[in-house]
Amino acid sequence: MSAEVKLMPLQQAYDDLVYRSLSRIPCELGRLIYLASTREYNTGHYYHEGLADRFGPEAAQKALEIAHRQAFYKVSAYSLESLVEELDRYLASTKEQPQECLRAWQKLEPYRVAVPADVNPTVARLFTSNLRLALAILRFRQKPSR
Amino acid sequence: MIGTTSALIAAAALVVLLIAWIRADKALRDLPLGSEERQSGLEEGAELEACPPEFVSQIFSSGDVAYVARLNSPELERQFHHERNGVALLWVRQTAAAVDRIVRRHVEASRRSRDIELLTEARILLQYAQLRAACALMFVGIGLTGAQKVRAVALYADSLNQRIGQIAREFDAGLRAQEIESAGPS
Repeated sequence: MSAEVKLMPLQQAYDDLVYRSLSRIPCELGRLIYLASTREYNTGHYYHEGLADRFGPEAAQKALEIAHRQAFYKVSAYSLESLVEELDRYLASTKEQPQECLRAWQKLEPYRVAVPADVNPTVARLFTSNLRLALAILRFRQKPSR
Repeated sequence: MIGTTSALIAAAALVVLLIAWIRADKALRDLPLGSEERQSGLEEGAELEACPPEFVSQIFSSGDVAYVARLNSPELERQFHHERNGVALLWVRQTAAAVDRIVRRHVEASRRSRDIELLTEARILLQYAQLRAACALMFVGIGLTGAQKVRAVALYADSLNQRIGQIAREFDAGLRAQEIESAGPS
């Protein structure tokens, strides 16, 4: 990311992203997954067409990168109990069958791609570890024998 | 007789320590090496973003343990301890690697410095030795008793790590000022 990104467009792009796009997503985990999905797998660059059109590609990329890191650290700081509730809210907010979604998440671990580049490895491990546990707890809660 | 008893106790203690070390090492190896770890370059000793103190507190906290215990599932409890001990061991390894890097860099900088303060060097050395001892203790302790039981040591180690980093940074800033001064117009 070059130093040419001016502070004003960056701040405006960030505010726009937060108020226009992210505020519509009902939970923090959903925001994190959304932000991670704006990152190109091959290059690691973030891209959002509307944001890039309004504020320029560099400001848009930086705003997405900052928001992604913030959402990641916020979710990683949740207690296990809060994360279980957050995951429950997220699964309920998707259009898929929650049980099917839960199974796929346990099997494929798609949340691994939600980790931003160059974050502290211990925090990254805490995040994936807590999500594995939260998924196991939700599966346990859904068992009919209980 | 006393000599034999002491030797037996010492041998038993050594075996316990060895078992704890092996268990901790196995727990660390058993966990899948996440892409998060590879991409952060822990293995190559690259420059890493420090672990924020609130996360250290969270990793070793008892709040999550109590929550999992309330769920009344031995399987979940076992999984929780396995996962959390793995995270704690990774933090210990990261902390030890980070302080090694700081001290190595500091030694290199000291060689270039014209005026070495013995007191500062002794402080860094002492704190480094304390931190490495704390890391060894935590590594064994996590294997023996679990992450939550070594919380106090972890918080102490984290504060020591920050202090060593601070002293080394101040030293580096002083050295840079010296070098700029000596390179300036005479």
